[in-house]
Amino acid sequence: MVPKKSPAVVTSVNDFTVLPLRVPGLPSYPKDTTHYLYLRPNAPKAPTADTPREVFLVNVPIDTTDVHLRSLFADQLGGARIESVAFEGARVGKGITSPVAPVRKKRKRGQEDGEGAAPAEVGQLPEVWDRDTHCSGGTAIVTFVDKPSAELALREARRAVKSGKQITWGEGVDGKVPALGLSRYAAHHKLRHPSHHALQESIDAYMTTFAAQEAARAKTLARQRAEPDEDGFITVVRGGRSDPAREDAVRLKEEELKKRQEKMIGEGFYKFQHRERKKREAQALVGQFEMDRRRVEEMRKRRGG
Amino acid sequence: MAPSNAKRRKLEHVSSGEDDDDSFAGFSGSEEDSSESAQPSVNAESVGQDFAQGLGMDDGGIDENPAEEPESTVHLEQAVARASREEQAIVNGAAKTAQPKQMPMANKISYSRSYESGPSKSGIFKLQMDDMLERVRPRQGKREAAAEAALHRLKQTIEQIAPRPAQSVEDAERALLKEKIVIPFPDPRPSKDVLYKLEYAKPANITVVGSHVLKVTSAVRRLLQIDMVVQMPSHLLQSKDYLNYRFFYKRAYYLACVAAALSGAHGDEYSVSYSSMHDNVLLPVIQVRPTGKTSSVADKPAKAPAWQIDIALSAADDVFSAEKLGMSKNCVRKNDEQVKAHDSPTPLYNSSLRTCMLMNAYLVLQHKAASSCAAYRDACLMGSLWLESKRLGSSISRGGFGNFEWGVIVALLLRGGGPNGKALLGPGYSSYQLFKATLQLLALQDLRKKPLVVGEAKSFTESSEWPVVWDAERSHNILYKMTDWSYQALQSTAKRTLAALGDQHFDAFDSTFTTPVSSRLLDHDCLIELAHAALAKSATTKRERSSPLLSDLYAVLRRGLGDRVDEVDLHVPSTPDWNIGVARPPPSTGSVTVGLRVDPEHAHRLVDHGPSADNKAEAAAFRAFWGDKAKLRRFRDGSILESLVWATEEAGQSVVEQVCRYLLGKHFGARVEGSARFVGDECIPLLWKANGIAPFQPLMEAYKQLETDIRGLEALPLSIRQIMSADAQLRFASIEAPSITHGIKQAAPAAVTLQFEGSSRWPDDLVAVQRTKLAFLLKLGELMNDNVEAVQSRMGLENQGEDVSNQGFLDITYDNGAAFRLRIHHEREQGMLERQMKLKELDPKTKQTSALALASYKRDFVKGSAHTQAIAQLATRFPGFTGTVRLIKKWFASHLLSNHIPDEIMELCVARSFTQPDPWSVPSSTQNGFLRTLAWLAKWNWREEPLIVDMSGSGELKDVGYQAIGTRFEAWRKLDPALNRVVLFAASHVDHDGTTWTDGQPSKVVAGRMTALAGAAMQAVEAQSIDLDPASLFVSPLEDYDFVLHLSAAAFGSRKKSKETGFKNLKVQNTADTSLVGFQPAEDFLTELQTLYGAAIVFFCGGAERKVIAGLWSPLTAPRAWKVNLRVF
Repeated sequence: MVPKKSPAVVTSVNDFTVLPLRVPGLPSYPKDTTHYLYLRPNAPKAPTADTPREVFLVNVPIDTTDVHLRSLFADQLGGARIESVAFEGARVGKGITSPVAPVRKKRKRGQEDGEGAAPAEVGQLPEVWDRDTHCSGGTAIVTFVDKPSAELALREARRAVKSGKQITWGEGVDGKVPALGLSRYAAHHKLRHPSHHALQESIDAYMTTFAAQEAARAKTLARQRAEPDEDGFITVVRGGRSDPAREDAVRLKEEELKKRQEKMIGEGFYKFQHRERKKREAQALVGQFEMDRRRVEEMRKRRGG
Repeated sequence: MAPSNAKRRKLEHVSSGEDDDDSFAGFSGSEEDSSESAQPSVNAESVGQDFAQGLGMDDGGIDENPAEEPESTVHLEQAVARASREEQAIVNGAAKTAQPKQMPMANKISYSRSYESGPSKSGIFKLQMDDMLERVRPRQGKREAAAEAALHRLKQTIEQIAPRPAQSVEDAERALLKEKIVIPFPDPRPSKDVLYKLEYAKPANITVVGSHVLKVTSAVRRLLQIDMVVQMPSHLLQSKDYLNYRFFYKRAYYLACVAAALSGAHGDEYSVSYSSMHDNVLLPVIQVRPTGKTSSVADKPAKAPAWQIDIALSAADDVFSAEKLGMSKNCVRKNDEQVKAHDSPTPLYNSSLRTCMLMNAYLVLQHKAASSCAAYRDACLMGSLWLESKRLGSSISRGGFGNFEWGVIVALLLRGGGPNGKALLGPGYSSYQLFKATLQLLALQDLRKKPLVVGEAKSFTESSEWPVVWDAERSHNILYKMTDWSYQALQSTAKRTLAALGDQHFDAFDSTFTTPVSSRLLDHDCLIELAHAALAKSATTKRERSSPLLSDLYAVLRRGLGDRVDEVDLHVPSTPDWNIGVARPPPSTGSVTVGLRVDPEHAHRLVDHGPSADNKAEAAAFRAFWGDKAKLRRFRDGSILESLVWATEEAGQSVVEQVCRYLLGKHFGARVEGSARFVGDECIPLLWKANGIAPFQPLMEAYKQLETDIRGLEALPLSIRQIMSADAQLRFASIEAPSITHGIKQAAPAAVTLQFEGSSRWPDDLVAVQRTKLAFLLKLGELMNDNVEAVQSRMGLENQGEDVSNQGFLDITYDNGAAFRLRIHHEREQGMLERQMKLKELDPKTKQTSALALASYKRDFVKGSAHTQAIAQLATRFPGFTGTVRLIKKWFASHLLSNHIPDEIMELCVARSFTQPDPWSVPSSTQNGFLRTLAWLAKWNWREEPLIVDMSGSGELKDVGYQAIGTRFEAWRKLDPALNRVVLFAASHVDHDGTTWTDGQPSKVVAGRMTALAGAAMQAVEAQSIDLDPASLFVSPLEDYDFVLHLSAAAFGSRKKSKETGFKNLKVQNTADTSLVGFQPAEDFLTELQTLYGAAIVFFCGGAERKVIAGLWSPLTAPRAWKVNLRVF
């Protein structure tokens, strides 16, 4: 975060516990860094049944994975067991900064078929990253196996803060998560060029579902067109005779007609038209002149004269 | 507004009211000229219009090939004028019947008309001009008062000088030396044994002449310069004094006497020194300046003097016969033994003498012009501003064409110069018309071949090799100080200004009047610096001219370089003023700078063909000129020619430099050659493989191959409509030229788009369209792999998670190394996205993704390919273009801005320097184009000005287009006045949107930094000029950033350092491996950093040019608010 020398490390803010994490140095930057993680019991406006066993984390490190959090709580903070972790947003696109609702159900790879599912669910394109990263300062909700575990985790965190116990981020995750750095981008490069076969399969799956859906929809629409509803009306729906290609033609025709109409009552047909045209021209001239004058004045101001 | 206009117009009326009769004659004359459009209502502006038409006709007179203003536009303007006059009557009538309040409105209309139908179509130009004239008109101020007081005192002192008796030269000199005054004799000084005596007597009269008294100097000048003329009494001169410098010796003595008196009387309040009038050694003058001691502000001694009085001596205009001082006469006789016929004419000497005799005559001429033509003074003011901004002036070192020459030529043209001795200009012309017509004369008539003669040319018969404007009445050549090269420079400057003024779409005001043409580095492609002293010692010559040596130098270089250069220009330092107690400093000090404007077509030719060996006389001359370098060679077509062979440029010296050095050595000796410093394309070594578009050819050929290969595939389900390129590498514009030799794979595949013929079977759903495109690509890849040899293809995915954007591409890699990235362009996507954005029930997020998808669709598929074509055309049209683009990109990258400023914007900036080169000519070398683009970047006010470039070269961007772009720009600025989204607005003839490349980036901070960096670069160029090391412009310190990440070379896939590559752990060592095509980890890393930390940090990256990523904490986030409670889950 922002580089500022904090004279005294705060241990809690509001009801958040501030947990310092030691981020070990790297060969390229061989110095330890401290990262502050904020924790509190989750308290959403609309609590659910799971709320008591949830812990809300703020400012999760960007490289957080659920393996990281599992090992943090299990190995260094009393051994609480985590059921699941939900991160803020999924991958947030560039330029989109507003917080996005977390994707609760993470899609599992390989589980791609399913009858009747929406085409968005099937035929997904292959993942191109081996591991997700999170926006700086992001949040996460950790769901523990039960309420006592959640309480234990928070208690342990508070104790660690008080005792000054050093907690190291990312301890014991080596080998369990894909590495960052150059190899991450190499892996990305590999993943974004999927095999011909896998891609073909995914697209085929998508296309099949899509075609089925389209057919079903066309069928419904055709039925709607043909059958009056209970009030005896026939719904007007898309499809049928006016397909998109013909819509364009209709629009063109309309424009042409309009033009023809304009031509019929030509520009100088009536005297008043002539007069108005002249007036418009004069006004345009004055307008242009005024604008030019303003611009010159602005220029003069800019020159400081 | 209205009152000031009314006032000005009233002024015009008043001035025309007090005109004498002949100006009224002029009025009626021009009325008759345009009698076909005569209307009973003659008001001020209709007169103006008639004059405009009159000028149009006169244009034809001056203009030998009237391409400037074709016939039809004149007719059109007449029609407009007629219509507008009717309109005027209507509006006026309406105004009268309605309410008197509307009168100002009518006034405005008439005012806007008055400029609209004039030769300058743009109203803003006229407004700016009026505004400027208002500001620069001379006014009576403090310094004027001080200077005038000084004038009076000086005059009194001079009148009271006691006469000195006639004495011999030696005695006179000794007498003055006692008073510590040296007589500023011209070179050669008088010999000791001359018989005539030097004498001082009370001057015949003392007058003030020149621009100050005529009120034609601009008031914003730093130095107020006043010319005072003391007329020597005629009885001191004898009728033979015009010969052999005698007049000049007497004049020098007289001047020394005046100087003695002045320094005696005013030595403590004014500084008195000698100077050469207009660098003419024959005409020393006295310069009087305030010393600053007596000024009220004593604590600022370093303040530059506010004014300066030049005291020149004149002679009565009838002391010598004008015929004897004609241009072809010789007045410097050699010794008696020599035959008279050998004496060559001495025009400079003669004209200098005539100048002394005609000082008052020209004052009278200009004064008459000013009183007969209301706009004369303004025209002179405009001329003076124009000359000032182009660094032209009366002194020989600045070309010999200055305010005086301008003013006199305009005055002369008001009296004659046209066909049949009629006046070329009418007294009723507006100042702009006078200005433009005079420029036209300078630009279009070659005054060397076809001298302009004003008045009855009795004594003037022959044409000469020098430019001549012959004033027959006063028998004087106005341009006598001009040289061949300075005349050429003046002519080309005038041509460029005319072209700029003729361009309807761009505001030429600034470049014409206010922007000073800065450093010579920008002006010329090559500069050669020679030590003047070495040159002076080297050779002798017989020609009498301002600086005969320079003429020789010019002649030799001009002849030797031939068509390799368009222009050769020489610059000598101006002679400084010197103390009255010391001898004149030697004339040849400092250095001579030769500026070359290279013709890129011919400059690099290695073999020159001379005359055929059969042609004995010519061949001998050729050999005499080139010496040993000339070799007789037999060419393939059987001809045997004298020829010259130059070394290839890879050896280090460009051909132009070799030619110059050889010629300097041959004709001026080794010392001169040794002293020469050559500044040419110093930037070339900064680029790898910089010779034009050649390094890109292999890729272009591969692209053609790709096109044929794809079109050759028969089993494709749809037929192909077109294949377009959309990549910097395919428009000759990438920093590194793609090297695809030896099977090394291109690191960055070149983007290509493929469009199929329309079909109704495409799905009606955006996501499905993207998947269908993938399916097509898969099929295409399969077919390519099966049917085409030596090619590999593989699919790639992009825009993960944004499923309405393009989802994938096909990388096609040829075995020779060329790599392409193929995407499919489906034309209905745009309509579908637009329709989706119009849906009301859409949530903001989907709307935003659709908007992003639409923007990227337009960018990648529509604008990208059009832009690529346009730029590629420019690159083939202008030889220097490619190098300039690459250099500018390198500059941006070196300053870590290339991740903010899109490539296309950089290309457009460069395209601008080539398509709107004003005030220079089209850059013909890389360095020149680069520096000029930087100069423009430094002064581009992106907040107020859109960048509009018509790259077509044939005016494809019509008025409507300009208007549309202008409106869009205004709308954006209104919509987003804080410039949060669109900072740079750049449109071209293929992209009227203006925000295609700059929506969202760069930010204001970055654009500001760009301007500041370019400004700093320009300062360095100004300050160091010829000593500039271009490489220093590419150095950017990293201290400004909060932190810097140094990336290892492996992150850029740098193939030059493939031995130490970091891919060992990936086991992908082999550079021939296609799987590495398109692998750019540094870019991916930067993108990820931006996604993760973009809200708090601004990252700067220079790509492979500079292997660092620098970061700045955003000032907005530094005092970061506590956000926890805001982030409610």
